[in-house]
Order: sequence, then C-alpha cells, then structure tokens
Amino acid sequence: MSPRSISEAKNQASPFDLNRRDLLKLLSVAGLTAPLALPAPEPGAPLYFTKEEFALLDALTELVIPADGHSPGAHAAGVAAYIDKSVAEAFLPEDKQTWREGLAGVNDLSHSLHSKAFLQGSKEQQLAVLKKMSASEQIKRRSSDPEQGKPTLPEKFFGQLKNTTIFVYYTTSIGIHQEIEYRGNVLLDQFAGYMPDEPLPPVSSLSATS
Amino acid sequence: MLIQFPPSNSEIDLKKTYDAIVVGSGAAGGMAAHALTSHGLKVLLLEAGAYQDTSKILHSMQWPYDHPRRGKMPPDYHALTAAEYRFRPRPYAAENSPYKKVTSYVEQWGGSDYSKTLVVDEKQNPTTGTPYAWVRSRVVGGKTNIWGRLALRLSDYDFKAKDRDGYGENWPISYADIEPYYDRVDTYLGVSGYPENLPWLPDGKFQRPIKLTYSELHLRNTLKGMNRVLTPYRAGVTTDGLKHNKYRSRCYGRGACNRHVGGCDIHAAFDSPTGLIRPAYDTGNLTMRTNATVREITVDKNTGKATGVAFVDSETRREYEVKAKTVVLAASTLESTRLILLSKSTTYPNGIGNSSGHAGHNFCEHVMGPSIAGFMPELVGKPRTIDDGKPGGFYIPRFRNLDKNSKLDFIRGYGFEGGSGCGMVPGSVYSTPGFGEDYKREARRMAGATIDIGGFGEVLARYENQIELDPQVKDSWGIPVLRFNYKFGENERKMCEDMVRAGREMFEAAKFEIVSSSSDMLPEGWSIHELGTSRMGNDPKTSVVNQFQQFHDVKNLFVVDGSTHVNASCQNPTWTIMALAWRSCDYLADQLQKGEI
Repeated sequence: MSPRSISEAKNQASPFDLNRRDLLKLLSVAGLTAPLALPAPEPGAPLYFTKEEFALLDALTELVIPADGHSPGAHAAGVAAYIDKSVAEAFLPEDKQTWREGLAGVNDLSHSLHSKAFLQGSKEQQLAVLKKMSASEQIKRRSSDPEQGKPTLPEKFFGQLKNTTIFVYYTTSIGIHQEIEYRGNVLLDQFAGYMPDEPLPPVSSLSATS
Repeated sequence: MLIQFPPSNSEIDLKKTYDAIVVGSGAAGGMAAHALTSHGLKVLLLEAGAYQDTSKILHSMQWPYDHPRRGKMPPDYHALTAAEYRFRPRPYAAENSPYKKVTSYVEQWGGSDYSKTLVVDEKQNPTTGTPYAWVRSRVVGGKTNIWGRLALRLSDYDFKAKDRDGYGENWPISYADIEPYYDRVDTYLGVSGYPENLPWLPDGKFQRPIKLTYSELHLRNTLKGMNRVLTPYRAGVTTDGLKHNKYRSRCYGRGACNRHVGGCDIHAAFDSPTGLIRPAYDTGNLTMRTNATVREITVDKNTGKATGVAFVDSETRREYEVKAKTVVLAASTLESTRLILLSKSTTYPNGIGNSSGHAGHNFCEHVMGPSIAGFMPELVGKPRTIDDGKPGGFYIPRFRNLDKNSKLDFIRGYGFEGGSGCGMVPGSVYSTPGFGEDYKREARRMAGATIDIGGFGEVLARYENQIELDPQVKDSWGIPVLRFNYKFGENERKMCEDMVRAGREMFEAAKFEIVSSSSDMLPEGWSIHELGTSRMGNDPKTSVVNQFQQFHDVKNLFVVDGSTHVNASCQNPTWTIMALAWRSCDYLADQLQKGEI
C-alpha cells in the first residue's frame, strides 16, 4: 500500500462508503436477483433518467465544473451521459433512487428559494441553490463534530453530485489532457525530478503559469 | 520457440515422489521453487488458483476514458469498504449474496477492473471472528501481482528488539546471518534505492534510484536538521534491467503501478511468475500444478515425517494425494498456519509440528491509517512536471525509539510512505472545496503542489492475538475456515497519535500548509502485511520452527513465508520473506543431499 492509495481510498470511499444504516439497507436487499435488461432506448435518449431529469443533471454538472478560459467543462466532457449510463446499470435499486430523489430535491429547494424549477431560474438563482446545497461541505471542513449540521437531502446529494462529477470529468480526455495538462503515462528513459544529493534550485527558477 | 506456460494439469505426474512439494506460488513459494530447483531438486509447486497472464490483463497504459467504466469493476461486483469490515457480521459476504463477486477492499481504488480476478471471492472464502480485512490472492504469483513494491531490509533493531526494550522474543538469527541473502535477492530480482547508511534500515545492492519532486527534495533537506531522513522509495523494481531474466523489462517510468492496484505488465516490478517461477521452470526441474487447494499435510505414523500433501482440485473438486521427500509451506502467513492446524492426526493432535501449541499465536502486522496531507505553497500554479513517472514516491524510515533511553509512551517504531505532485487524476480535485470556476481553478493550480504521507507502524506480536479453525464454518471446498481473535492494542493507539504529531511537525518545519491530518486507524489487516502465527525460535516449547524455518517436530517440513516472523518490525516484509526462504531452501537442499532429512 502506498499513501497515495490511502488518500485515494479515503477520497473515493466518501460518497460510497457505507455507514451502519446503509449496511442494514444493503443487507435487507440481499435476496435480490440481477436487474433485468433494459429495453432498447430511442436513439440519443437517456438510458435511465427522463429527458427533464437529464437536462437538470447536465446543467448541475456544468455548474460544478464549468467551461472556463482554460478548458471545456462537464457538459462538453459528456459527464451527464456517463452518469446516466452508470446509473442505468447500477446494481442496487437505491443507487438509482438516490439520483432520482436528489434531482427532485434540487427542484424542491429551487421552488422554496425562488418559487420556480431549477432550470427556470437565472444563473444567479441556480448558483444560489448550489451554494445552499454545498453548505454542509463547509461545516464539515470547520468542525469535526459529526452531529453538527447533519446534512439535509440536498446537502447529501451535493456530495454525491460533486464527487461523481469529479470522478467522471477528470477521467475524460478533456479533464486529463486539457484541464490538468497531465504529462505522464509516457515512456521515460530517465526518471523526472531531482537526485537526493542535488542542490534545490530556487522556486523562482520554476516559471509561473495560469 | 514458444513454450506453453503453464502446461496442462493433465500432463502432470502425480505418481512420482518429488524431492520437494512447495505449497503456494507467491513471494515465498516462488523463491522456494527458484532456490530448490537451482540445487537440482525436482520440485512440485502447488497453487490453489489458476495462472493469469498479467501481461495481457493489466493494460498499464490504457487511458481511463478508453475503458467502459473508467477502470471500475462491473456493477455486480462489490468491493468491501472499511465500514463493512468494521460493522458487518462475519462472514463478510453471505454465500447467497446478490453480487456476482465480493472482493476485498483493494478493488475500491486504483485499477479495480484490471485486477478483479486476482483477489479471492469472499463468498467462496469466508472467515469468522473479530474484524479483519484479509486480502488473499489465489493465483499464480499470489499478492506479488498487486504488491506495493516497497523492498526494505530489517536490521538487528528488529531481530534483536527484545534486547533493546525487553518486549517479546528475539529472532534466532541476526542481520549478519541474512545479509548475504538480502544481497542475493537484490541482485537476482533488482531493487531501486539510494544509499543512506542507516543502521536500522540497511542499504542494498541498489539499481538506479527514483528521483524526488521539488517538494520532496525540500522536505528531505528540512528533515536533515531534525535527524530524520526522506529517501526515494526503495522499490522492488528493476530500474536498470536484468540481463539474466528474459521475462522482465526495466522500468520506463510509466507510473502505471500507482494508478492500478499494483502490478506491472512489463514486469519491471517484481512479481513471482516472471521473477522466479518461469526461470525456475526453464531449469527443467520444476513442475507446477494449478487449481490445487491443499487441505492437509500427510504424515507417516511410524516416523512422524511428512509424506506429502492431499489437495482438492479447485475446479473439478476431485481429490488427490502426492508424495515428496520434503514439504515446504509458502501459502501466505495465515493460510500456512491454517494448513498446520488442519493437519491433525494421532501423531499430531494439535496440528502437525505444533507440540508447542504456538501455531496460530503471536499474530502481528502493521497498523496504518494515520496520515497528513498538505501542499507546498510556493508550488501552487507552477507549470506541470511529470511527478508520477516512477514506481513510488518516498520513504521516511523509522526515527522513534532508536535510542535505548528514549522516553516515549510506546515502544518500537513506524515509518512513513509518501507521495507528491500531479498524478493522472490529481488528489487536489477531491480535496478542493466548493464548486464552479473557483473550484476548478484552485484544483488545477494545486495539482502539482500537494504532498502526503501515511504511517506504517509495528503491531506488537502478542500471544493472545491469534487465529484458529472455526469449528463449524467451511469454505467452498469444505475446508474449515479461520476464526480471528485479533485486535490492535494500547501501544498501537499511542503510536498512531505520535505519527500525526511527528508528521505535522515535519510539515510545519518544511512550511507546508496542512490540509488534513488524521490519527484514525484503518481496520485490522488493511496493510496486507499479516505476519507471525508460526514463529521461529531456538526453543521448541515457545516456537514452531527453527532458524531455518524447519519444524522443530518434523524435520522434513518447512514453512518459508511471513508466518515465521517473530515480530513485524515497521519495515515492509516481502524482501525479508524472500531472503529467509532462500536461506532456508539452501539449508534444506544441503541437508537432503547429506541424507539428514
């Protein structure tokens, strides 16, 4: 095991890691058989989500990781389509349900804040909804007390939405090559970096960027 | 000419008496096969799993977007989580679990789909008792197909640890006894490292070292003032190549081993199938039988000697017996001890070679979990460099309790493994808060600046930490499973608190900004370094085997894996397992030729 794997395990486990209650739920479906094959969808239609849900998901992922001057965002990277495909083949029914309920919760929150569905709102109103949804992330960072600020459904969904969007976006060609400008996964004759006995050059010798 | 490897099981002669049967084909079994065949012995290597050519299944350089699930397993596969290990009643996967396969936690990260067939199905291989994340690999090469590659030596700080703090037992060997064999392992298999001249972490016959990133070299320089060392990862990887092994390439810094669960499709990283077994096979002295789940060591009632083994074919379920002059167990720490306990007879009512009653006891390993993550502020927003094009990051060797007069509230020590900079999917994308343009820019600017370390601490060998056979539960082949009675103690808890204190202190000294730190322990077993349970010693009343890993009670029976380790040290065990196995097999061959066994 390497520490990279420790932090990856911790990072990646967060949206999917099970607590006691989730475990009980998991145990209760232990008699399930494999899901039935889905009927062939009409070309271009989402596999699991309704067209309305898909449009909402697509908009949300783009708000989490938008296009900017540096690279295209989640929409161009096809994040929603990938999520749709993976939710369609999710094994446990609740792994599908949390998405459907989460998206409905976003509209509910938008209605309570702005009296309109999320996609009907202005960019500012949409950002306000997301800001509200991300509140528990800020609390979690400030306090180690798990009882403080128990996440509401939209807050819980924000974690799922954000982590999934991150996983999908940063494993696309756009995410790896254009956004991160990753240079590895190539054959190197010599390792890159510094020998342990080499003098450390001043930081100023590393030119600035972005 | 292409030789079919391995040959079909139907071609294998199970009628003849072999010089030695080796049970298990991982680091220990592969080394036993190599060492014994090099002495001209006719060896039968038994492996419970099948042969899987990782050259074909790993796809080290495939981009995640070229894989249908970005490297993840199919949805009807499930990898156990830390919470499941902690809270779920054992066994972890019911036989009627809805999932097609339930794997150990390692499939949660990295390569998952690439290695989903390399670890066992928990449904077929249940365990009972206290929580334990037991990662098993029933496949030719075992866990060497996925190992973390940190290839460290132990020293007399470990072998003679009792002399320093009074705890436990000394090993029946000292560093001088094993040093020539460490040298041989280094030369035969290749190890990358940078010499540091530390008595508690001896240098090896190093090939080209891994280079450090900017933040790592800065931390190394900072630690010099604190009497601590940061050294490039000592990787069991051939960085210069091995002229004597045609199955292995040198390392080309693709960084693939850290993106997956481990494993190397060009075999620059050591794995037993290409490093040991195929060269042994080429001597003409090795026969390998796959799908051979050994259930018992057979005994001659008159002499008390081992006569061979009984095994069941993992696929056809047919039962077989095969004979040999000597039997060498190398099935992994806990599986070898399980075999000892399974081999009960009128001659050996407590299990073969277990007159001491110590088999199953003194179970130890490494505790992990405590970690510190941060970044070097000066590197934020700097141009991208290749930070992951190498088989590992860095290692901070033990610095605690090296002085006998040390006044800490725990004994023994720990080391840190660490990494830094930008990987294919940098850690900053997960650790950066918020969303939108600010989030995206921040994650990008931080990607090359991050650095993190995680501790690996010695878990004390305690008699009461123990495994035994479950009286009821059996595995898929009808063989009784292991029941665990094992937990971390107060010394480990205090050590983990200290890891975080010391880790934060180093980051602060280097003026790294700390993003998060935690002293939480991961579940027992997480380090995949289970050790002990059939320890070596000079006294047959308190140990199972002697210094040559030969059973005190049964002269022609040996166990050459981690089960014989007297304590866990805090240094990773694979290189020591192989050095000891080589030494013991030299002894075995010598004794056999002299007619002593």
